[in-house]
Amino acid sequence: MMSNDSRHAEILAEVAGLMANFHGREYLGDIDENTRFFADLGLASIDAVVLGETLQAHYGQPLPFGDLMAELGRREDRDLTMGELVEFLAKHLESRSEGTSCRS
Amino acid sequence: MPKLNARGMSFHIQQAGEGSDVILIHGVTGDLSVWFLSKAIQELGTTHRATAYDLRGHGYSDVPPDGYTSGDHAQDLLAIMDEIGAPKAKIVGHSFGAVIAAHAAAIAPERITAVVFSDPYFPALRHLEDASKWGHWKAFRLEAEAAGVTLSDEHWYDLDKFFDQVNHLNDERMLKFRQAVGLPAMTRLLRLGKTTCGADTKAVAGLTTELIESIKAPSLAIYGAASPFLATADFLSERLPNCRTVTIPNARHRAPEENPEAFVHAVKTFIESVDA
Repeated sequence: MMSNDSRHAEILAEVAGLMANFHGREYLGDIDENTRFFADLGLASIDAVVLGETLQAHYGQPLPFGDLMAELGRREDRDLTMGELVEFLAKHLESRSEGTSCRS
Repeated sequence: MPKLNARGMSFHIQQAGEGSDVILIHGVTGDLSVWFLSKAIQELGTTHRATAYDLRGHGYSDVPPDGYTSGDHAQDLLAIMDEIGAPKAKIVGHSFGAVIAAHAAAIAPERITAVVFSDPYFPALRHLEDASKWGHWKAFRLEAEAAGVTLSDEHWYDLDKFFDQVNHLNDERMLKFRQAVGLPAMTRLLRLGKTTCGADTKAVAGLTTELIESIKAPSLAIYGAASPFLATADFLSERLPNCRTVTIPNARHRAPEENPEAFVHAVKTFIESVDA
């Protein structure tokens, strides 16, 4: 059983890898848990919709991104940190099977 | 991501649920994410097949150099309905999306069975409204000014003038401007600024006062209580034979973002009343 910290670090690395070539990315730079999706990465909420699909395909399971988007829509600053995204994924991902394939 | 081809272009669409069709149309410079952030697509998807798409020039759809009038977009909508197998649909448009919805309802009354007009301002009805009341624009203008970009008040509705004023900014000033006004996707906005969208959005394009008045489908005019376009709301409720009006508290022009619960509740209640 992996510790929460290393699980989080693993998910963050996976998300950062998926985002390295993500459409709509305007600014390059390292991604850590404090990186903000909109203010720092220059992404827009439409990119979040598409990233949600990319992550579901990557992990091969449905995830409640509709709920996450609705929650985001009710935030004052409308922004999401990578740490929060990782937290969401860690909460909803079933224990990952070994054979999960990586899609580009 | 789901794409479909219509009229020689690729459109990004998202769908939720099963049942009779409801189609969601965002405004100019926006994209379909507004329907996720407001929870409209998730909620409508519990009872209908809800479809949202990125307009041409927006989000992840193709960006042709021209063809951005309400008439062009209405033809896109009807072609998308063909592609998804929706002979008829109820349609929900916000801002210019509602102008597109009106245009489609007027030219294809046999296909559009109900319409929600969320806070539109019609080019043909420009005389009804005092543009200086648009508080959102005033706030935006002050923020832009703080970032060193002066936007003319006289051209508030004038997207192409707006694009002219920001197109020349260098990277550093653009970043400052973008951060000041909270527009994260400047690349897309500037891409749109190179099309005829700005000018086309102002064009009557055949959607005359008479054509707007001819819409007989059940409709709901939904406006923010502090919307700058309440004269247009009055016009719709007085002149359209089957239109009722609802105002959303604590909202100006963008009720789906400013008060999403009340907005989605009003839309869903109306759609279900038409179904009944």
